[in-house]
Amino acid sequence: MSAAPGEPIIKLEEVSRIYDTGKVQVPALVDVNLDVANGEFLAIIGPSGSGKSTMMNILGCLDRPTSGLYVLDGQPVDELSDDGLAFVRSRSIGFVFQSYNLLPRTSALENVATPLMYQGVGRKERLRRAQSALERLGLGDRLSHEPSELSGGQQQRVGIARALVTEPALILADEPTGNLDSHSGAEVLDLFKDLHALGRTIVLITHDTDVAAAADRAVHLRDGQLQAAVPA
Amino acid sequence: MKLADLMRLALSRLGTGKMRTALTMLGIIIGVASVVALVSVAQGATKGISDRLQSLGTNLITVSPGFTRTGATRGAIGTATTLTLDDANSLAQLDGVQYVAPELTTNKLIVVGSLNETTRVVGTTPGYLSVFAYQMWVGSFLNAASVDHNLRVAVIGATTADNLGLTESSIGSTILVGGLPFELVGILQPKGGSTTADDQVVIPLSTAHELFVGSNSVSAIGLSATSQDAISTVSAEITATLEQRHGITNGVDDFSIATQAQLLGTVSSVSDVLTLLLAGIASISLLVGGIGIMNIMLVSVRERTREIGIRKAIGARGRDILSQFLVEALALSLAGGVIGIGVGIVASFAIGTYAGWGFIFSPVTVVVAVGFSLLVGIVFGVWPASQAARLDPVVALRYE
Repeated sequence: MSAAPGEPIIKLEEVSRIYDTGKVQVPALVDVNLDVANGEFLAIIGPSGSGKSTMMNILGCLDRPTSGLYVLDGQPVDELSDDGLAFVRSRSIGFVFQSYNLLPRTSALENVATPLMYQGVGRKERLRRAQSALERLGLGDRLSHEPSELSGGQQQRVGIARALVTEPALILADEPTGNLDSHSGAEVLDLFKDLHALGRTIVLITHDTDVAAAADRAVHLRDGQLQAAVPA
Repeated sequence: MKLADLMRLALSRLGTGKMRTALTMLGIIIGVASVVALVSVAQGATKGISDRLQSLGTNLITVSPGFTRTGATRGAIGTATTLTLDDANSLAQLDGVQYVAPELTTNKLIVVGSLNETTRVVGTTPGYLSVFAYQMWVGSFLNAASVDHNLRVAVIGATTADNLGLTESSIGSTILVGGLPFELVGILQPKGGSTTADDQVVIPLSTAHELFVGSNSVSAIGLSATSQDAISTVSAEITATLEQRHGITNGVDDFSIATQAQLLGTVSSVSDVLTLLLAGIASISLLVGGIGIMNIMLVSVRERTREIGIRKAIGARGRDILSQFLVEALALSLAGGVIGIGVGIVASFAIGTYAGWGFIFSPVTVVVAVGFSLLVGIVFGVWPASQAARLDPVVALRYE
């Protein structure tokens, strides 16, 4: 199921997503073609309303394209069932959200361990792996803190630890610095650069070209269409 | 997902909103507690009644004479004098009959010193004590010799003894029965419950025949079967024997048979209806409790839409979310059920103690109550849980 060496992790072919509101059909993505190589750090830049969120939902297997082909990590996912998509999300994707999306009233350790629970990993093993992920991100002293007891930057680092703990093929970050002050934002971007240096594949979706500068390639999304790749 | 994980999630969730959890469970607690308590009340009342019936005699069968017929008018059961001492003796030979007590009952004035009372005088045999489950308080009961030799001895009931001022020390003294002197040889223990059973003077059957009723007839024959199971067989044998002795071939008997089993049967069928009725009423409150759980679970699904979205994004399948919410509903109803059983047992204990039938605890009720509360949890938890499981992760993640 893993992509062969040299094969792209993400392959989108003529992918469209059209929202059918009953009376009008709203195209959110139109004939998108995109390859993301293994180990690449790609930024998808677009203003609001450009189809960024739809892109993120399709790439993250939260939604299916209306037409077109999507191959993730060697697996065509556009025709999978809901459970099949959940399986792909569980095994192959790590999400980092703008608003962190940590489980409330749940410790950092439990938050990071939760994706492993859905993989069926035993409790001891998953707590061990969650702890080591948090320690790697410098949160070893915050294991039992709940999200409400952590700063924004710390919460986002917990979110990144949660995305990393399953060793996914793809890390998908949606405006990860959007809710952070510039200092914490810079720290988070440095983290992504470090992860990239370690060989991780990262797709970062943002409206901010400064943020996108952290990536080694950027594409622009406008009115649901990908513009020719612009070197960052 | 593993069951342990689901239970850990449910418990931590129920632990975070203790007040809400408690209020949600209250409906189930009240429902289960009332089922347990009301079933216990129904069973206690039944036990009280059957205990009194048992105190009338163990495995008792009573044979009464038929009715007299004057022209077209039919008299009451027992008005005829068709049963005789010989009938009683032949019934004593039947298999399955343990004790026989022919009774000849009259009313006589009893005089002790300055006190007197008119009461029932029963002429009978030593079997009387066992057939009607009496116990001696002091002295001894009639023996075979007293019946064989028409002795003028008397055993009196506890109420009669009270009324006439007779005590332990009166054993051996003389009392007047119908104007004739009898030696008091024993006093019976009170049975309680019915006063008529304790207000009587028991004398040898032969003496009663000699002094008060100049024939061979008896008013009734009491028998005890060797066991509860033998009662119906023995009743049939009695019928056959008496029909043969009385030359009855057309099936119109000149006697009637009453068994304790018939009475107990009536009581238990009444009490079954009573138990069902009470349990039914209590179940309505369980139903209401279940709807309360469903309500809270629906609110909870709405409130936690974003949490559901997050869980789905990080790999939860629909059935993981379904199980999570279902186990939560089950935990609520099961915890409510267990607490309800505790409350119900305490209430049964209090009521039983107050009403005097003691504490009746039925494990079946507890099993049924727990089963029912689990059922309530499933029935009323499935819908909210499936709502949660069906949420679209894209929509759920955007939910504020």
